[in-house]
Amino acid sequence: MSGGGPPRKRNFKIEAFKHRVELDPKYAERTWKVLEHAITNLKQRRLQHNASGLSFEELYRSAYNMVLHKYGEKLYDGLQNTMTWRLKEISKLIEAAQGGLFLEELNAKWMDHNKALQMIRDILMYMDRTYVPTSHRTPVHELGLNLWRDHIIHSPMIHSRLLDTLLDLIHRERMGEVINRGLMRSITKMLMDLGPAVYQDDFEKPFLEVSASFYSGESQGYIECCDCGNYLKKAERRLNEEMERVSHYLDAGSEAKITSVVEKEMIANHMHRLVHMENSGLVNMLIDDKYEDLGRMYALFRRVPDGLSTLRDVMTSYLRETGKQLVTDPERLKDPVEFVQCLLNEKDKHDKIINVAFGNDKTFQNALNSSFEYFINLNNRSPEFISLYVDDKLRKGLKGATEEDVEVILDKVMMLFRYLQEKDVFEKYYKQHLAKRLLSGKTVSDDTERSMIVKLKTECGYQFTSKLEGMFTDMKTSQDTMQDFYAKKADELGDGPTLDVHILTTGSWPTQPSPPCNLPPEILTVCEKFRAYYLGTHSGRRLTWQTNMGTADIKATFGKGQKHELNVSTYQMCVLMLFNSADGLTYKEIEQATEIPASDLKRCLQSLACVKGKNVLRKEPMSKDISEDDTFYFNDKFTSKLVKVKIGTVVAQKESEPEKQETRQRVEEDRKPQIEAAIVRIMKSRRVLDHNSIVSEVTKQLQARFLPNPVVIKKRIESLIEREFLERDKVDRKLYRYLA
Amino acid sequence: MACGGRVRFNVGGQVFETTTTTLANAGRDSMLGALLDSSWNLPSSSSPPPPPPQGGGVPEYFIDRNPSCFAVLLDLLRTGSLHVPPHLPEKLLYREALYYGLLDHVRAARWGAFDGDRLRLAASVPGRAPGDGTAIRAAPDGGCCVAHGGAVHVYNWMLDERRPVSLDHSQVNDAAYLDASTLLVAARERRHHHRGGADGDGGDGGGGMAAFSAVSGELLHRFRVAHAKQAKPFTAGALAFDGGGASVFASCKGRLNEHGVGVWDRATGEQADFFYEPPGCALGDADKLQWLDGASALMVASLFPRSDNCFIGLLDFRAKAVAWSWSDATAAASALGDDKRVLHAVAMEDGRSVCVINQYDDLGFLDLRKGGGTGGGVRWCSRSKLMSRKVLLPGEESCYPRLATHGGQLFSSMNDSVSVFSGPEFVLTSTLRRSHGGAICDFSIGGDRLFALHNEENVFDVWETPPPPII
Repeated sequence: MSGGGPPRKRNFKIEAFKHRVELDPKYAERTWKVLEHAITNLKQRRLQHNASGLSFEELYRSAYNMVLHKYGEKLYDGLQNTMTWRLKEISKLIEAAQGGLFLEELNAKWMDHNKALQMIRDILMYMDRTYVPTSHRTPVHELGLNLWRDHIIHSPMIHSRLLDTLLDLIHRERMGEVINRGLMRSITKMLMDLGPAVYQDDFEKPFLEVSASFYSGESQGYIECCDCGNYLKKAERRLNEEMERVSHYLDAGSEAKITSVVEKEMIANHMHRLVHMENSGLVNMLIDDKYEDLGRMYALFRRVPDGLSTLRDVMTSYLRETGKQLVTDPERLKDPVEFVQCLLNEKDKHDKIINVAFGNDKTFQNALNSSFEYFINLNNRSPEFISLYVDDKLRKGLKGATEEDVEVILDKVMMLFRYLQEKDVFEKYYKQHLAKRLLSGKTVSDDTERSMIVKLKTECGYQFTSKLEGMFTDMKTSQDTMQDFYAKKADELGDGPTLDVHILTTGSWPTQPSPPCNLPPEILTVCEKFRAYYLGTHSGRRLTWQTNMGTADIKATFGKGQKHELNVSTYQMCVLMLFNSADGLTYKEIEQATEIPASDLKRCLQSLACVKGKNVLRKEPMSKDISEDDTFYFNDKFTSKLVKVKIGTVVAQKESEPEKQETRQRVEEDRKPQIEAAIVRIMKSRRVLDHNSIVSEVTKQLQARFLPNPVVIKKRIESLIEREFLERDKVDRKLYRYLA
Repeated sequence: MACGGRVRFNVGGQVFETTTTTLANAGRDSMLGALLDSSWNLPSSSSPPPPPPQGGGVPEYFIDRNPSCFAVLLDLLRTGSLHVPPHLPEKLLYREALYYGLLDHVRAARWGAFDGDRLRLAASVPGRAPGDGTAIRAAPDGGCCVAHGGAVHVYNWMLDERRPVSLDHSQVNDAAYLDASTLLVAARERRHHHRGGADGDGGDGGGGMAAFSAVSGELLHRFRVAHAKQAKPFTAGALAFDGGGASVFASCKGRLNEHGVGVWDRATGEQADFFYEPPGCALGDADKLQWLDGASALMVASLFPRSDNCFIGLLDFRAKAVAWSWSDATAAASALGDDKRVLHAVAMEDGRSVCVINQYDDLGFLDLRKGGGTGGGVRWCSRSKLMSRKVLLPGEESCYPRLATHGGQLFSSMNDSVSVFSGPEFVLTSTLRRSHGGAICDFSIGGDRLFALHNEENVFDVWETPPPPII
């Protein structure tokens, strides 16, 4: 014992105290007895509270004196022994507790211990501050906890019983029983107070192991008998239960660990089986728009590694498969408008799923976009059909719709347009369809037309729409020109037929040069007057009549004197005018008189003679088709409820196969100069480049409009070499040089 | 508690009355806090305490202590400021404060927050050691230690001397406080001491580096260096810690050119890394190491006279590379007549530059964001002309200047004074000088105090900022 050691070199004051101590050699022993008595009583404070009759001040002073007089070690060792002895007693009491009372007893004793420990530390505070740091002992509070850990928690009779009790209670709660959560909370908090290592080693680790095997078994059972939606509901509930359990009576640090156990056992281990579950897996949820189930699936799969990528892959392959079926289904191809509407519906459906159930996840949006891009381009008629859809909407479909509705529809179309690889093909068709709308005056609203153009412009740039805009300018100028013509030449024209000319700039419009037919003399006069007027005001221009594109309103009187106004094409007008001077004409006679190209003539005769309710001509023999031996007569018996009869031309809205080929060919032709221009641009800046780099650069430059074929690029390069824009390198044949 | 929370104390016969609110300032972890705690005042039928209500129901507690000290401490709890009557010895007050568990309160009120421009000399402590002092280091709690020869003298914040620390009585090169109660000592390896032992037993009893308890002076841990998995004896030079407090660094010299910077894990004390000295970078001889938080790099400075040329480098331990370096090797050799020699260096607190000082007490700056190189690069501020320098008498000893930074201010020692520079341009704002004690060989700032070690007789001065004025 250090107090009894030989006197060391000390300062004066201490010697004075020592002198006093020597007066009473039993001082330390006596003081310790007092303190020991007090400590023992504190530990049993329920039995007799503070029965020593000593105040805190007295106890504190006693402990102070012991430390001051170098009896710190005796004090500390005494404390340790007393506490150890006392805890051994307590452990016996806890061990003796029966069944369910075990935890209660343990908790009650722990509370007592804590309280007593606090008061012991109060008494020994001075020792804690001075003796403990200098002699490297454990502070009183920590010592009390360590002793509790060693003699209670790690006592062989308590250790496994405690763990089993805790795990059993948790298991019972999982099975739906109500347990005393407050008690659980106190016990886990006790383990944490004893140090995170105690909590982890003596509770958390076995808890996680038991949980893993529990959920492994449960998930196996569920997956055999539940459909995917129900399984996910159960998994979600379990996950929430575990999080709730942590918040109620486990340490917060356990949350990530236990949720990862549940995620692994219930989701990750069954991920593929769940996604592909028959009749209820991901694909079925997508088909049936099960937003709630899909949202749950997304939320749960997001928690496990590779969860979302699995979902995404399955969704992508499903989209590609159904999309492919949709765009290659011959039934669908019959009606282009329906076809595009179908695509839009499909897009809307999945947009909504991603929005509602997948929290607008960018990666899923990208997967959706790439799937659409993939299958829309599987069908090379998609550009045409999309243009037709727009045509349909701008022609009549949008009547009565508000401007916002129109905008919404156009925006959706633009979305599809973005997926197109052959944007130039779309442009081609759009131009044709727009021309038809403008010339026939069928367009619903100028504003919506322009709005569509603006959208295309922002998407593809000025070049893409310059010609389309030119068409609008032509329409406006023509209107002004006609007004001016009639204002200036009114007196000259008299009562002749009214002429309305659209002056179309060559190149802006999709016109095919076709020889003009023979116009009736009445019309021809006006036409000539207009030509004279126009060329008189604009020098250096040429006018060519496009008789294949015009329309005419003519008045006709039929057998019983009833008058009708007939709305017909220019060709039809020419044919009908012939019947002013003859009642019957053969096909040959008509062809000779009008010089209308045969295919157009047949179509125009068909619509005049073979359409029920609009048959102003009678054909002999009666049949559906026009043959060169037919004879036509003015149909005296024609009747109609309408004053104004509109005689349409029988014209296929969708392109026929040969027309399609032709358009394709023209597109290919148009691409050639674009590819050449790109090659020259690239070579001008690079001077020397190898073949593969040129191909990839050209593709990069042009992919906003179309995907150029490498074979075509190679041909263009060869053509440019022939024309001496480029030359092959003399050494490396794969290199090309730019010739300025 | 009854009576509006009033409490009465009878301290050594003198009665004090105060409120529970005032006493709450003492905290639960004090004797007074425990005394009033409800667990000690449970109503009980049998026992005398809680104290019998006397004089109108105010509880009274008897405490068998000195009443005049209690008055001072009660005043401290009431006002938060410490006023010690002239007749009351400080040591007596400290002893009583320790009894009540209020020593930390006293220390916190004893002096104010550090301000380089308001420092006052608080004490001069004469040393007893023979020979020149090597270094003085401030402890985080206001204590300090002085290294000279083979021993380190440790003082607590009350400036009481504790048990001196020594590492086999080897020459101490540097000391550093890991925390208020743990002191690291770097010492020279003692070869002659190592008789007959194989190299493998790692310099036991032969210098090196160790951690001691600053309270008891006990050896806590000896740091080892292993080369090729064999522990080797070594000489430890300068010490440093990183910002996160995970690593300890020391410049090391082994017997077989095993020179470089050693790294130890602070928690386990085990060697974590060793940065071998690349050619041209005198790492093993470094006089100063400093961890730069922003750059996550260690500044190493090897200076005259320990090395012939000054080398300053930044070590990146993750990349195992010297991220930046500067040396005056070529400048010294050049015939330009530039004889400005860098004698000390300190990295500025913003981590963007290193401040250096030469033998004319000129301050210079090296930009860490630019390439280092050799020779040039130092932006010297010729302030020596502005200084009122004490003219040295022939034969009077001078010391190498030292630099330190603290709270945005720059401190440099020269001869017998410490200069304080403030603001972005580092303008001279204060000079700390004491009339006797000789040249300052080292100084250190920490625990809101500045300690300056004088060359003569190891006397050191303690400079403090007084508590803020009453108004």
